Amino acid sequence: MIRYDCLKLLAPRITNHLVVTSLSGQKIEWANLSQHPGNLLIGTMGTALGVGIGLAVGLPHRKVIVLESDGSMLLSLFNLPTLANLDPENLKVFVFDNQVYSGTRISEPTATAGKTDLARMARGAGIEHAVTVASLTEFRAEMETAVQESGLKFVVCKIEESVGHRAILRTDLDPLENKYQFVRYLERTEGRAIFRGRG
Amino acid sequence: MEAALAQRLVSGLKQAGIDLVAYLPETRLSQILPLLRGDPTFTLVPVASESEAVTIGAGAALTGKQVAIYIECTGLYVSCYTLVSIARRYGVPLLLIVGYLGSMADQRNNTVYAVSGSYVEPLLHAIDIPFQVLESGEQLERRIADAVRQMHALKLPVALLFTGEFSE
Repeated sequence: MIRYDCLKLLAPRITNHLVVTSLSGQKIEWANLSQHPGNLLIGTMGTALGVGIGLAVGLPHRKVIVLESDGSMLLSLFNLPTLANLDPENLKVFVFDNQVYSGTRISEPTATAGKTDLARMARGAGIEHAVTVASLTEFRAEMETAVQESGLKFVVCKIEESVGHRAILRTDLDPLENKYQFVRYLERTEGRAIFRGRG
Repeated sequence: MEAALAQRLVSGLKQAGIDLVAYLPETRLSQILPLLRGDPTFTLVPVASESEAVTIGAGAALTGKQVAIYIECTGLYVSCYTLVSIARRYGVPLLLIVGYLGSMADQRNNTVYAVSGSYVEPLLHAIDIPFQVLESGEQLERRIADAVRQMHALKLPVALLFTGEFSE
């Protein structure tokens, strides 16, 4: 299973969901597959899940999907107990675990290539629905319930390292532009102003 | 900190529109926590690291929550990465309520804290976060309101560093 095939299944299922991406290849691939205004293309390690938790807490009636990676998740393991205890039923986390720091371009292994099991760590932190999937069939089943049903989900997707994103033209969406696009989309769909301090 | 001062700090936050507080508790300002918890205006988000106080707070701020992050000053070192890579890079308004231990006016300062406090102001200058040091309750509510107005005007984090009377 490769990440792009998973994301290809997810993209057409997005309606009014908010999607937060982690970094690098995943961000490039998702931006290529989806230009939805509810996308927040973060692109830094160890930050996407935290931002997604904040979105889920702020908008408990909107489903929030976080696309994480193993390296990024390992950098922000403190998110797991916080997430477990907040238990936001509108948050769905997919951790694409290729077991390498792919950005190094030397396939340097992450801890999940060794003894570390992120789904078990999540369960240990108190997240009840923390599972591992390793096939597109399993991914599709988890993804379909995630986009439709309530309940916190933490799904570790075991994938092969893929470098297809290196052939994809990167989005030129600036972070500030992305923020305003995202916030204006929320303002339209929530029917209220978000930012103060008008000139 | 005297109970009356803690109450004024919480009232000041409420008057300024703050409605979500992500926090990792510390020693100097901890009396505000029961008061925050007792007021349904505030959504409280306890965190395990100051780093995620910033990311979670930023996500909530993008939904329209008026966010304060209550941490010890050493947490600024921990959260420096997310303050820069998320809060500054995306331009997210956040009010940092910081227990300024180890500062010269810290009434409980000692050899454990002093070094930790020494780099707080240079750090905030370095990452371009506007801040004020509060040593007393004089004009407390107004100074909180000023900081909140500034964070919305800049769409950036703004810090209030509490020491002096707040550390007694």
